[in-house]
Amino acid sequence: MTHSLHREGTIDSLERDYCVFIYPARGFNYAGSAPKIRRLAELIYTCGAANFCPTTLRENMYSEVATPEEVLASIQKDGTRVYSTWNNPEKLKQLLIKMKEADEGISIVVSGLIDRVRVMAREIGLNPHTINMSLGIHGRTELLPPADIRQFTTMCGHAMVAPGLVRNSLRRVKTGKSTAWDESIVLAKPCACGIYNPYRSEEMLNDLAPVYAVSRW
Amino acid sequence: MIIRGEVCVGCGRCQPYCPAGAIHFSGLKSEVDRETCLECGTCLRVAICPVDAIMDDPTAFEYPRAVRKVFSDPTAPHIATGIEGRGTEESKTNDVTGRVGPDSVGVAIEVGRPTLGMGLPDVQKISRALARAGITEIEPCNPIHQMYADESTGDLRADLMGERVLSAIIELEVKKDRLPHILRVLKEVAKEVDSVFTLDVYSLLGPDLEISKEVLAALDSEGFPWRPNAKINVGLGRAWEERRAS
Repeated sequence: MTHSLHREGTIDSLERDYCVFIYPARGFNYAGSAPKIRRLAELIYTCGAANFCPTTLRENMYSEVATPEEVLASIQKDGTRVYSTWNNPEKLKQLLIKMKEADEGISIVVSGLIDRVRVMAREIGLNPHTINMSLGIHGRTELLPPADIRQFTTMCGHAMVAPGLVRNSLRRVKTGKSTAWDESIVLAKPCACGIYNPYRSEEMLNDLAPVYAVSRW
Repeated sequence: MIIRGEVCVGCGRCQPYCPAGAIHFSGLKSEVDRETCLECGTCLRVAICPVDAIMDDPTAFEYPRAVRKVFSDPTAPHIATGIEGRGTEESKTNDVTGRVGPDSVGVAIEVGRPTLGMGLPDVQKISRALARAGITEIEPCNPIHQMYADESTGDLRADLMGERVLSAIIELEVKKDRLPHILRVLKEVAKEVDSVFTLDVYSLLGPDLEISKEVLAALDSEGFPWRPNAKINVGLGRAWEERRAS
């Protein structure tokens, strides 16, 4: 999860891309945390997350392995962590309001544009505690895939979305074999942490496909 | 990972899913390049193979190759942390743990990400450079800590030097006044590594999400711009287990 702060893309695109993590602390508030985490996870569902995954399943919302009820029911173990992604700042704000009201005492982390989160925290009356800032990529950056591919691959917190798969999806959209949404679900599937944002991915595929050169049909 | 040649029908569907680019055609069938494969398990997890030809390599769970799986498969918990993934709770639970206090700053150097992966000698290049500069405060709970042969020199265990992983995180917690020194060291060692690393710092916030002036001054003086997005612990956690809360 260290990597959500390194998500790449334009400011305009990142305006619709936030992650929220529910994170109990080993040795501090693990014991008895399961029902609290379950209640917070219900809020994530009801407020309308773009993607979601508890560590009890390691399958995201688009994996079609469980119904929402089954996903929530799986949260029975103390220390379960829950990851989610949001494409709508207003929905995110409603979630944080409800999480503050719920006051379950579990750490909540928001990953996204600093200025946006600052305004939201001020409006809600939250007092953010710690910030983890990205200082970018260093070393042999010339070996990296181009930035337009990285804006997809960095949406998976564990780098499970392969650059080759992104290129494959771009080809399929470009050649009319599939839609941008369907390919976004394909791209979301390898993401075992549930923070791949398929709505942002759909926007980016639609933006890129017209200008993408197809090298293989 | 292994693709059973006698079962594979050569459709090639698995190939683009591999984050390491380790699956290629060999003749008319797909084959995993064992050296390039990081044992992340993505090809198996996405269940794309129409004939179930993909399976775990039995040797992937044997040391030292098991290091690949532990540091590359997000569903594989590490014995040191008990959590899945390559890091610790870091800033994410700092409102509860108080791990990084007002005078400190956390630094995370994530070697191999984004995308490229890396050979463990790259981690050693960085840990040696830090050790030479007198920086040895490596987070003991991070999985990478168990790979050290000698913390004082930054040497990793020699039998791991042939392994590749998707990424590993060197975590430090130091006093704020040491941050410029660390950034200078990292700027220099960045010229030596054969892969990439992402760098991040975490510190306490002031009112209205005010970022520490000392931290910002260090980034400014050492020429490290920061991205507009960040990970922010919004301060809703609290401890209730008596053992630690006291």
